[in-house]
Amino acid sequence: MNSLLISRTGTYLTVQDFGRFRYQHLGISPSGAMDHRILIALESIINHHGNQFLEFAYVGPSLKITQGAIKACVGGDCKIFVQKQNNTQIEHKPYTSINLFEGDELNIHNTIDSVYGYIAFENGLGLKPCLDSYATDTKSQIGSIPRPLQIGDSFHIKEKVRSWDLAFNDEINIEKQLDFKVFAGPQLNFFSDETIQQFASTPYTITSQSDRMGLRLKGEPVISQRSHDILSEGILPGSIQIPSNGQPIVLLRDIPCTGGYPKIALLASDDVSKIAQLPPGSSVTFRF
Amino acid sequence: MFFKEINHYGDRGLIIDFGNESSQEISQEINLLFSFLKGLNLPVLNITPSFNKIVLHFNTIENKDKSLDLLKSQIHNFKPSKKSSYQKIWKIPACYDNSFALDIENIQKLHNISKQDVINLHTNKIYYTYYIGFMPGFPYLGEVPSSLITPRLESPRVQIPARSVGIAKKHTCVYPKVSPGGWNIIAQVPFDIFDLSHPRASLFLPGDRVQFYSITLSEFEDIQKCKLPFQDLIKEYSQ
Repeated sequence: MNSLLISRTGTYLTVQDFGRFRYQHLGISPSGAMDHRILIALESIINHHGNQFLEFAYVGPSLKITQGAIKACVGGDCKIFVQKQNNTQIEHKPYTSINLFEGDELNIHNTIDSVYGYIAFENGLGLKPCLDSYATDTKSQIGSIPRPLQIGDSFHIKEKVRSWDLAFNDEINIEKQLDFKVFAGPQLNFFSDETIQQFASTPYTITSQSDRMGLRLKGEPVISQRSHDILSEGILPGSIQIPSNGQPIVLLRDIPCTGGYPKIALLASDDVSKIAQLPPGSSVTFRF
Repeated sequence: MFFKEINHYGDRGLIIDFGNESSQEISQEINLLFSFLKGLNLPVLNITPSFNKIVLHFNTIENKDKSLDLLKSQIHNFKPSKKSSYQKIWKIPACYDNSFALDIENIQKLHNISKQDVINLHTNKIYYTYYIGFMPGFPYLGEVPSSLITPRLESPRVQIPARSVGIAKKHTCVYPKVSPGGWNIIAQVPFDIFDLSHPRASLFLPGDRVQFYSITLSEFEDIQKCKLPFQDLIKEYSQ
């Protein structure tokens, strides 16, 4: 048996995968990793990851190997150290496999000019899926572990690591993007041409009231000429909805399954991962 | 047919539009089309019905385009009939005791009726499940009799107890879990209506019929004590 223990949680440490699907008609959000690009990058290094990744926001966790040995890999722009039992410390790079042995502690520092980082483990974390997925939705308390992880949580992995050879991928390029081309939202016609023009030409700032559910933006108010209240309808990640105060909300992974605000626009699916990585204070622009 | 058109919803979504109105007839067509779409086995991530729309979410643009062509040709074969095999009829016990009926006085005052009137009106009607949304397993049931129609609370409650039965505008609901919310709470059911360990997960599914019946506090406690598993709840309280 190989075991690891959370010795420091960092910020908002959860188990994630690519999302929980086929249940949105029961009010169950897809959830899943905020940045799919990093999961895809990690998959190229740790092939047998069991679809069980750890996601952290801003500050990474510390993980202690309490038994056996584990092969892991960190994705994201952050510094990574392994503390050995003899007190030596070794720095590792992201997107490079790390062999961890009993007594080792993996310390992950904060994400640099981005928000989310991930850890993949060979053979996963020994978890059972919940409704066909390992993703965590803490608001609805759904997931293999339906809450943020805590100090002392431990994972037990039965399977042995296949190869201890160093694996890495130096072609990974996680770009930062601030300008987004958007599609027309279902209620684009709730807004005057002038308002649409203004929405597509002025910058919006990402506020600190942003989380896995959505980014709350601040800027020129976008006011509907009809109403800010529609009959609730299905929502997709990347939808930009406008509540009555006119400040846009970009919905991300923990979407409310249905929503009653008009949606002026929708991001391209691949851009959801990109915008999710922008820290509060970032200024974004949208164009149709 | 209320079906209007199919539109693109971003690069990987489609939205099937049934207009801007809401009615039980529209919802019935939507929920029958929803089961029809499930039967088509489209390469789809999610199909989400609501009052007057069905949203489809695909994992690739290719799958969306392929499915759009199929949908366009198939939707004309779809005939809304009254029957669907998977829809259930539920008889759900609810306790209207004052300890649960936090906002029943709002409704009494607004319509100038007695508490017993509210209970009679609420339990006499067989409700239709429009769709499940807001939170996992939360059914939008309707429509309540006109003398129960009541606006949402002016300021929403921070915490509504799990299993609470509420009324807002034309709809009634059951809160699966503790949640903030603005519905007028009038009763509580004695068991969970959402269970992740059962493949159905949600007791109520879109298109189900639901009727409440009033139970006393001691009956409520007896049922609560049984802690029936989901499997047995389905047997006991649905047809």
